[in-house]
Amino acid sequence: MSESRVAEFGFFTKDRTACFRLTAPHTAMGAYSWWKEPSWMVDSKRRRMTPNWPWLLSALTLLQVNAVQAHSLKRGSAQDLKCTTKNMQVWDCTWTAPVGVSPGTVKEVCIKDRLNSCHRLESTNIKIAALSPGDHEVAINYLNGFQSKFTLNENDVSLIPDTPESLDLSADFSTSTLHLRWNDRGSAFPYPCNATWEIKVLQNPSMELVKLVSFNTTLSGRDIVHHWNWTSDLPLQCATHSVGIRWYIDYNRFSGYKVWSDWSPLKNVSWTPNSETNVFPQDKVILAGSDITFCCVSQTKVLSGQIGKTFCPLIHLYGENVAIHIRNISVSENSGTNVVFTTEDNVYGTVVFAGYPPDIPQKLNCETHDFKEIICSWNPGRPTGLVGPRNTDYTLSESISGKSVPFKRFETLTNESYRLAFQMLPGQEIHNFTLTGRNPLGHAESAVFINITERVAPHVPVSLRVKDISSTVVTLSWHLPGNFAKINLLCQVEICKASSEREVRNATIKGAEESSYLVAVDKLNPYTLYTFRVRCSTETFWKWSKWSNEKRHLTTEAIPSRGPDTWREWSSDGKNLIIYWKPLPINEANGKILSYNVSCSSNEETQSLSEILDPQHRAEIQLEKSDYIISVVAKNSAGSSPPSKIASMEIPNDDIIVEQAVGMGKRIFLSWHPDPNMTCDYVIKWCNSSRSEPCLMDWIKVPSNSTKTVIESDQFQPGVRYNFYLYGCTNQGYQLLRSIIGYIEELAPIVAPNFTVEDTSADSILVKWEDIPVEELRGFLRGYLFYFQKGERDTPKTRTFETGHSDIKLKNITDISQKTLRIADLQGKTSYHLVLRAYTHGGLGPEKSMFVVTKENSVGLIIAILIPVAVAVIVGVVTSILCYRKREWIKETFYPDIPNPENCKALQFQKSICEGSSALKTLEMNPCTPNNVEVLESRSIVPKIEDTEIISPVAERPGESSEADPENHVVVSYCPPIIEEEIANPAADEVGGTSQVVYIDVQSMYQPQAKPEEEQGIDPGVVAAYKPQMRLPINSAVEDFAAAEDEADKTAGYRPQANVNTWNLVSPDSPRSTDSNSEIVSFGSPCSINSRQFLIPPKDEDSPKSNGGGWSFTNFFQNKPND
Amino acid sequence: MNDERAKDLMLTLFRPVPAPLCLLSLLPPLSLSAPISPSEPISQAYSLALYMQKNTSTLLQTYLRYQGSPFSDPGFAAPELQLSSLPPAAVSFKTWHAMDDAERLRRAQGAFLALTQHLQLVGDDQSDLNPDSPVLQAQIGAARLRAQGLLGNMAAIMTALGLPIPPEEDTLGLVPFGASAFERKCRGYIVTREYGHWTDRAVRDLALLKAKYPA
Repeated sequence: MSESRVAEFGFFTKDRTACFRLTAPHTAMGAYSWWKEPSWMVDSKRRRMTPNWPWLLSALTLLQVNAVQAHSLKRGSAQDLKCTTKNMQVWDCTWTAPVGVSPGTVKEVCIKDRLNSCHRLESTNIKIAALSPGDHEVAINYLNGFQSKFTLNENDVSLIPDTPESLDLSADFSTSTLHLRWNDRGSAFPYPCNATWEIKVLQNPSMELVKLVSFNTTLSGRDIVHHWNWTSDLPLQCATHSVGIRWYIDYNRFSGYKVWSDWSPLKNVSWTPNSETNVFPQDKVILAGSDITFCCVSQTKVLSGQIGKTFCPLIHLYGENVAIHIRNISVSENSGTNVVFTTEDNVYGTVVFAGYPPDIPQKLNCETHDFKEIICSWNPGRPTGLVGPRNTDYTLSESISGKSVPFKRFETLTNESYRLAFQMLPGQEIHNFTLTGRNPLGHAESAVFINITERVAPHVPVSLRVKDISSTVVTLSWHLPGNFAKINLLCQVEICKASSEREVRNATIKGAEESSYLVAVDKLNPYTLYTFRVRCSTETFWKWSKWSNEKRHLTTEAIPSRGPDTWREWSSDGKNLIIYWKPLPINEANGKILSYNVSCSSNEETQSLSEILDPQHRAEIQLEKSDYIISVVAKNSAGSSPPSKIASMEIPNDDIIVEQAVGMGKRIFLSWHPDPNMTCDYVIKWCNSSRSEPCLMDWIKVPSNSTKTVIESDQFQPGVRYNFYLYGCTNQGYQLLRSIIGYIEELAPIVAPNFTVEDTSADSILVKWEDIPVEELRGFLRGYLFYFQKGERDTPKTRTFETGHSDIKLKNITDISQKTLRIADLQGKTSYHLVLRAYTHGGLGPEKSMFVVTKENSVGLIIAILIPVAVAVIVGVVTSILCYRKREWIKETFYPDIPNPENCKALQFQKSICEGSSALKTLEMNPCTPNNVEVLESRSIVPKIEDTEIISPVAERPGESSEADPENHVVVSYCPPIIEEEIANPAADEVGGTSQVVYIDVQSMYQPQAKPEEEQGIDPGVVAAYKPQMRLPINSAVEDFAAAEDEADKTAGYRPQANVNTWNLVSPDSPRSTDSNSEIVSFGSPCSINSRQFLIPPKDEDSPKSNGGGWSFTNFFQNKPND
Repeated sequence: MNDERAKDLMLTLFRPVPAPLCLLSLLPPLSLSAPISPSEPISQAYSLALYMQKNTSTLLQTYLRYQGSPFSDPGFAAPELQLSSLPPAAVSFKTWHAMDDAERLRRAQGAFLALTQHLQLVGDDQSDLNPDSPVLQAQIGAARLRAQGLLGNMAAIMTALGLPIPPEEDTLGLVPFGASAFERKCRGYIVTREYGHWTDRAVRDLALLKAKYPA
């Protein structure tokens, strides 16, 4: 049952809250009304059921009561005997007097089963002591003798406690909390018994029920004051709240009805407004994400309500008071979230701080640096969103000592560095720390349980000092602040050799209070710069301290651990022994080497050189070339090294061949076969091969069990030849085992081989060259490349040899001992370009080139000249003979008797003759005409040169010549010049027509055809005067020239053999022309006859051009009809 | 502790402040010395007031920015908010014009005296509400320092003009303690706003004086 009741209230509570949230007051009222009825139903039902009797029993009891009443009604007329009790000790019974009986006539009431059970009275109610359980017969006697009888049972009695009296109702307006106090008056009741209380809160003025709560208490026989607190959602300032209380008592020995008491009188809580503040709650700190209601008390109409920037719907309370409800409020900024109500003439507001309760402090860690105080640090976790006075306060408390320390906040504090110092108590090692963080929204704590001796992180060691004990041992001392008396410290010493490895050594030291600590560090190297630093922890390791500052220290010197590396060379004259030694490396010198002592001892004598100061690593001693033992000692401030000894003489070895080697990079690799005789070590020395003896650049010693080594030196340069000598060491001394020449890297030669031509013939050249010096060879010579090619100096083609050029011939001479080369199968009198290059594995050297002309092949030349001459002579002789033999025939053929020109028959004869020779076909163009030519002056021979002189001014003097013509009446006989020559040279006359061909050939032989300038130099008139038709195409240039002078004369295929101009000029001026008059008569040929014509000079008035054209046309017209 | 910090802030602020604030260090001898020509302190006060005028809106905007909405909303203004302990700067032109120099100086002096005290209060308020905002603290501190400087200059002027210097009094009394956060925010707003208004009015007052007492 009680469960069901709680459920009912739970529902109510929820429902009420929901209503308040969502609805305005009048709506809440409705909800209250709705709720009221079922509540009462519940109560009445519960009242009946409260006794421990089963429900069925109660029902039976009810029936019985009814039966009794029915019975009493039957037996008496008194009605409705009702008994109630306030405290279960006194029953207050009333009844109604029967009809007709006055209530004042009651005489006595008797309870039958009691002694002295009759009570005299005069009213219809009676207080009687509680009766024992069970039925009791009650008789009421009236004065008139009327008697009413009732059966009275405890079950019929109702227990109605007195109305509770609330002692005090107060309100905390800042928290909107109501405090109710009341007295349960438990002393008046049997105990223990349960009391159930119900408290209601009404919101004025509408008397809306805003809270109804019930709860149980136990009455213990004493008066107890009870408290009830309730926090209102709506700030109390904004509405008057009234509180009422009632109760009922549940006593299991009482079987009657249990009934609620009446509600106590309502007590009110109201707020007296002051002028300043009108909005509530003020400055409240709430959990982010929760809901909150703000209200505003105003006399004037509130226009709006907002939180931050967000305007909220107004919930009207009473009057002008309004509220806004905020759900799921977000975290405020530092200065809080503003809530502002605006009225027509003013602004009211409040600030709410929404944030979070402190997070559980995280990573709480407590440790000590010095056993004086314990430093606890932690991370606050999630930010609370609250600052200033609302920020989280932390307190560190230690439960064993009971001490606690508050955390002081500093402005610069960041979230990561929350630290708090707790002063250690002497003797306490175990600590149980609890760190509590509080803010207005709650608190959180975290705890740590530690043994402080296991949580030691010492301070950084200071005042680190180093003190020498020996050259290999120092002591380090440092100060460590703090009281470590009860524990052992574990410290680390870091030893750092300059620039190289670091070594860390651990040391466990007994702790002390505020003490310095001392540690010896051994196994150091003498005369070495060390850097020391120290850090400490405890044996129960927790954390290292920071490293101390570094301390640099140079250990003291010790004697050099061995003698220097020694070598010796005899000077070139063999009189002096030069002793070389190497400076000791720093780890063997054990100090600064000040000087060296050198001594040479033989059986007879000992020479020594002492105090050779350090930078000098060489000494020269004049010795007989015999066996000495040389010893070298290095000295530093601590003393002398053991001597290093070497024999002055080498063990001869004849079986030495020189080998070659090439290195890689700056190193060269040498290997050799193991030699069991070599007991001490091997020495490889090397020097630049171009240096003079004694040559020693450097040497290295290799242990006797090695068979190979890599020699590396910064002095090595590519392209330089070095000599390497491998010596083996025996007890008697060193013996040369191998001699090697080598290059670190081969380069191409920097010079070309110097070569000369030893011999030249018409078809071969013998070339000889010289060796390239070693310095310029820069590698092992691998061969020569020889190119040759036809070509002359300065001809671009032969400047460089293009690879792959077909003309180039290449010879690769790989036999480097070869120094000559004969090149055969060359052409005579030809220039050749020769090139010689040397090459190594490093590449080809530069080229040296030379031009050589082979000698002339004289026999061939002679033959080449003689044969054509002989042929020409033979042809000439044969031709002459033939001509001579056939001279009659020739005469008949070429020089027949000239017929009378007046006889036309001669024309036919001539025609047939002319057809016989094609060379004379030109004559056809001038068929014999029956013209009569009167020759006044004749020109038999016109020498070429004269023609040249005369022809050039032709164009300039046309007038002159034309004037002269009519006067002189010169008749020019036309005749080919070849005939003139025949006349001039009768010897050649025999050749006749062919002589023209020969002449031209000879001429062309001596005058190459492609000589246009020369030909142009010849006066065109010469050629124009006579042109064999065969040569016409060749002389086209001349023709052009002629054409420029005389445009009309454009006939290329055939040209009249006469030049009119020539004629014009020649005839009057030339004195020789008169001479030739007679000659014209004396000779003649059929051809000349054919061509003979009367040349009438053109008219003076005509221009030379028209003159020429006129002639030409006339000539044609004259000739054609005759054809 | 807050006071010390505020002092520190002032000192740190003091260094970079250019010419007008440097005059402050010269003030004590000026105010103590016998009557001299009023033009020099007037000129100094005028320069300082002009300099202050440049920063008043920055102070107000900075202040509002830290108070959250609606204070930090653009264009926020609540002219209806007033503080009884702080005389409003707003005055009708007629009334202002009718005042004589002594009255103007007296009122301005009273106002800046109240402002210095209120700015101290606002600084304390903000160290609670915005403890992590040194910029705001610095600006409030600087404003207070300048107001004090102007007070000193005005005292020098009054001395030079032979006017009585009103005694310093506590304008705040007990009222402000226990104010709610909202009241403190509003109070700060009114103070920073009135600081600007009074500075404007002081510039006007001093300009008038400057015209009257040319150098």
